[in-house]
Order: sequence, then structure tokens, then C-alpha cells
Amino acid sequence: MTATTAPATRRAPRAGRGPRMRRRLAPYVFVLPFVAVFAAFSVYPLFFTARLSFTDWRGTGAATWVGWDNYAYLLTNPAFWASLGNSAVLWLLIVPVQIVLGVLVAVLLNNAKLRLRGLYRVAFIVPFVTPLVAVAQIWVVLFDQRYGAVNAFLGLFGLPDTGWLTTSTWAKPTLALLFLWKTTGFIVIILLSGLQSINASIYEAAELDGASRARQLWSITVPLLRRTIGFAVVLQTLAVFQMFAEPFVVTQGGPYNSTTTAGYHLYNHITRADLGTGAANSFLLVVLVMALSLLFVRLLRAKD
Amino acid sequence: MATERTRPHVGSHLFLMLLLAAFLFPVAWALLSAFKPADDIVRSPLTFDITQFTFDNYTAMFQDVPIGQGFANTAIVLLFKGAATMFLAPLAAFAFAKYQWIGKNLVFGAVLITLMLPTIVLIIPLLLEMKELGWVNTYQALILPGAVDAFAIFWMRQVISAVPDELLDAARVDGCGEFALFWRVVVPVIRPGLAGLGVLTVMNIYNDFVWPVVAASSERMATLQVVLSTLAQNITGNRIGADYATVTGELLAASSVALVPLLVLFILLQRHFINGILAGSVKG
Repeated sequence: MTATTAPATRRAPRAGRGPRMRRRLAPYVFVLPFVAVFAAFSVYPLFFTARLSFTDWRGTGAATWVGWDNYAYLLTNPAFWASLGNSAVLWLLIVPVQIVLGVLVAVLLNNAKLRLRGLYRVAFIVPFVTPLVAVAQIWVVLFDQRYGAVNAFLGLFGLPDTGWLTTSTWAKPTLALLFLWKTTGFIVIILLSGLQSINASIYEAAELDGASRARQLWSITVPLLRRTIGFAVVLQTLAVFQMFAEPFVVTQGGPYNSTTTAGYHLYNHITRADLGTGAANSFLLVVLVMALSLLFVRLLRAKD
Repeated sequence: MATERTRPHVGSHLFLMLLLAAFLFPVAWALLSAFKPADDIVRSPLTFDITQFTFDNYTAMFQDVPIGQGFANTAIVLLFKGAATMFLAPLAAFAFAKYQWIGKNLVFGAVLITLMLPTIVLIIPLLLEMKELGWVNTYQALILPGAVDAFAIFWMRQVISAVPDELLDAARVDGCGEFALFWRVVVPVIRPGLAGLGVLTVMNIYNDFVWPVVAASSERMATLQVVLSTLAQNITGNRIGADYATVTGELLAASSVALVPLLVLFILLQRHFINGILAGSVKG
């Protein structure tokens, strides 16, 4: 509790009423710079988008009010649904793999007797701290059909050259691999922090009862980790549906729009200066992402 | 606490080693390949002959790509935006954590809502706002939006809440003014949290791409990441008829140059990085 009502006599006597007044005004001065920036560059743009989404505006001239037209247009537009579909496929390729891999690695790294623990932990985080654009460029080179290291390696086993980034079959998995590579270490760290709150004596008891390691993982670790896993799933759902920089650098949304994610589709409206539709698209995306997050939170809580 | 059960199985080591190789391979491959003669990178991407190593890709890249300008722009943004976040966010968080004031709950509610919103929602209106202000392709556009990050406020508020009120009251009795309270009492106490915020802020600003490419993509204003993203065009533009090998060599050299500063920082400050990333995970 703050002590704004504390008797003045308890405070430094030499300054009289001054300190009390200053104490009352201080918080306003402290938050002012933040509130100014926040209002100008977060709150105002948000209201502006809301209004913009109900207009037809090409960036110049007057905006015409079109009501729900932009939303109706998007909801009946195959390209919009295709972008959501692409993101959904990427989600399926990324999130389940990442959670399984993340839990396995976190459980192994949580064992204090593991040798080279520190090295593993650092190495798994390296991708997360590298600049995405640099890595995406490296991806383009590595997965090049004719000259890339990946096809050269597979060629050693007699496998044919694959057009990783030039065929609509492989572009999504290759992009998913980039995302997995970049963020799995981050998920491992989150899961590790969850594991560290589990009491070790539970495992000792299970061991006495003769439960195998695999059994312990499935019956103790996973259920106790459910909240942390749910948190990781929500974070990655947000990230996958907003994915933009990866397709922007690696595939420019192609081939044949197969990597035009929900986030990239939004950017397409900007480049076409179709700003009203873009604003409506971003709101639809927010609603979808929030609904998905709520769904996952519910699903993981219902079992408690 | 980490569990101290049986020694891990050989299989576990094998699994972790394989994963380690997969995680380090792309970066290690790029860093090493950048030193190979350009033709060799494409002709035999899997072999490394140390005796053939050369700086040719680097010298060509520095000629063709305005990477120095990119570094300079990123440094300027880092300096101003980073300083703003590191000073103003804890200061505002102090007001949220330790004072009563009118509108506090309303503003904090707004902060929480922005934390949940995808950043892309703001891209279009922010860009229009920049156009209106005449700030497209300026440093203001790169620095001011997000200069006092909502997440930093949220995190620092939690950190500062843990500072005991008695400590603050004692300092007040000693005649400490309100700002001195922040600067001389709160800041020293929350130093570990500030270190985490510091590395997270540097990482986010250094790697930021979407906003810079939308708001300031002119050659003069391009940050390091924006320069990297248009690399291939720059190289072919400066060397008409440049072959794939030359472009690839320069591209890997440029990517290496962009990777190394953050990698070094990470290896030196890994504990703070991991703390920062963990706290940063609530950002979404």
C-alpha cells in the first residue's frame, strides 16, 4: 500500500508541505513520456485502423465510407482464405513437432548429471538470437536447387535434386524448417523453466513404484507441464499466423502463392495501396488469433 | 531444481548431439563458406579447404553493399531507441508499481491490450501517420514508435513491485526526493532485471525488420536488416551480369558480418540473455 495518507509529521520536517505535494505529482511526471509515445503511436493508430477498415481508401484523396463491405469482400475472397489455409498448414508442420521436440530436449537438459549441459543450452539458443533476415538469406543459399548444400548432401546418398523453394509442394516445409530451427531453442527455455517448478520427489516416488522413464515422462512430466505447454502453443500460434519476414525474404510468398501467409497477405494490401481492405484484414486476423488462443487455453484447462 | 536421477542414456547423447549439429550447421556453414573462393561455394558446398581461404567475398561485398551505412543506421536507432526504453520504461513502471494516481488502471489496461495485439495491426495506420508527419525515411520514424515498449513497462512493473516499500519510505525519511528515489534506490536494486531488459532490447532493435522495411527503406535510411534483405538486388545491380557464385559469396559475407556482433554479445552475456528471453516470452 502506498502511504499517501500518512501523517506529515512523520516525514522530514524541513521541507514542510513540499515533499507531500511532490509525491502526489511525481507519478504523473514519470509516466508522461511513456503515455505520450503510447497515445501517439499505439492508441491513436489502433482507433485509426478501426475506422479505416470501414472505408475504401487508396492512400490519397478522400476515403469513402463503405460500411462492412471490406469485411464482406475478404470473407468471400478465395485469396484471403488461401492465406489462412497456408498459415494453418504451416502451423501443423511447426507447432506439434516443436512441442514434442521441445519437451524431449527440455527433459534431457533438466538432468543435472547430463554432461555438456551448458553447451547444449547455449547452442540451442543461438538460432533464436541470430537476425532473421541474415538467416533467411543463408536458407536461400543452402536450399538452392542446383548449388545448395542440402541437395549436395542428399546427393551423397543418391537422392535427386529437389526444388525446395521453387515447388509449391516443398516451399512450405522448407519455410517451416526455418521457423523450427529459429524458435525451438526458445520453446526449450520456456519448457525448462516449467520443468524446474516440478518437485523432484514425485519422480523418486514413481521410481520406487517401478515406473519406467517413458512412463514417468508421459504420466508425470507432461500433465504437470500442461500449463507451460499451453503457454508455448499460444505464443507460437500468434507467431505462426503473423509470420511475415520469413516468406518476404525467402520466397516472396511464392511459388504460386503457396507461402503467402496470413501476415504476408496483409502486406500485399499495403503494396497495392488498398488500405481499407488491409485494415479490415488485420482486424480479422486479430479476431482469429485471439479466438485460437482462447481455444487452446480452454482445451488445456478443461482437463484439470 | 534440476532432477538428479540416473545418468542419461547413450541414446540421449546421440539425440542431443544430432540436434546440436543441426542447430549450429547453418550458421557455421555460412561463417566458414564466406571465406571460400566464390566458385567453390557453389561447386562443392560441403568441402572446406583452409589453405584456399580468402577475404575476396568480404572485399567485394564491402564495395557493392552499403553495409556500413546499414550498421551506422542500426547503431543510431539502437542508441536512441535503446536509451529511451532503458530509461523511460522503468521510470513509468515505477509510477505504476509504487504510486496511486488518477487513470492508472485505465492506462495499464490499455498496455495489457496492446501486448495481446499482433504488431502487424498497427503497421498500416502507423505508416499513414508517418506520411502525415512527413517522417517516412527519417530516424524519427525508426526511433519513436515503440520507443517506450509496452512490454518493458509490464515487465519492469513486476520487477519494481518486488522492491520493499519500507526501503522507499526509509529513503524518504532521509529527505530523498521522488526522482532521487527512483535513480538512487530503485535502479540499483533492480539491476539484474535491467540487464535482462537491456539485452532483450538490443536484440529486438538489432533484429527488427518489419517496421524498418515499411517505414524507412530508402538506401540512406536502411538499417542493417533492411540492407540485408535487398542484398541480392544490390549486388546484381552493381555488377551487371554477376553470376550466382559471386552473389552468393557476397551474400554469405554480409550475413556473417551481421551475425557476428549479436553472437559475440550472446556468448558474453548468455545468462542475461536467457533471463531476458524468458521474461520476454510473455510478450507474444
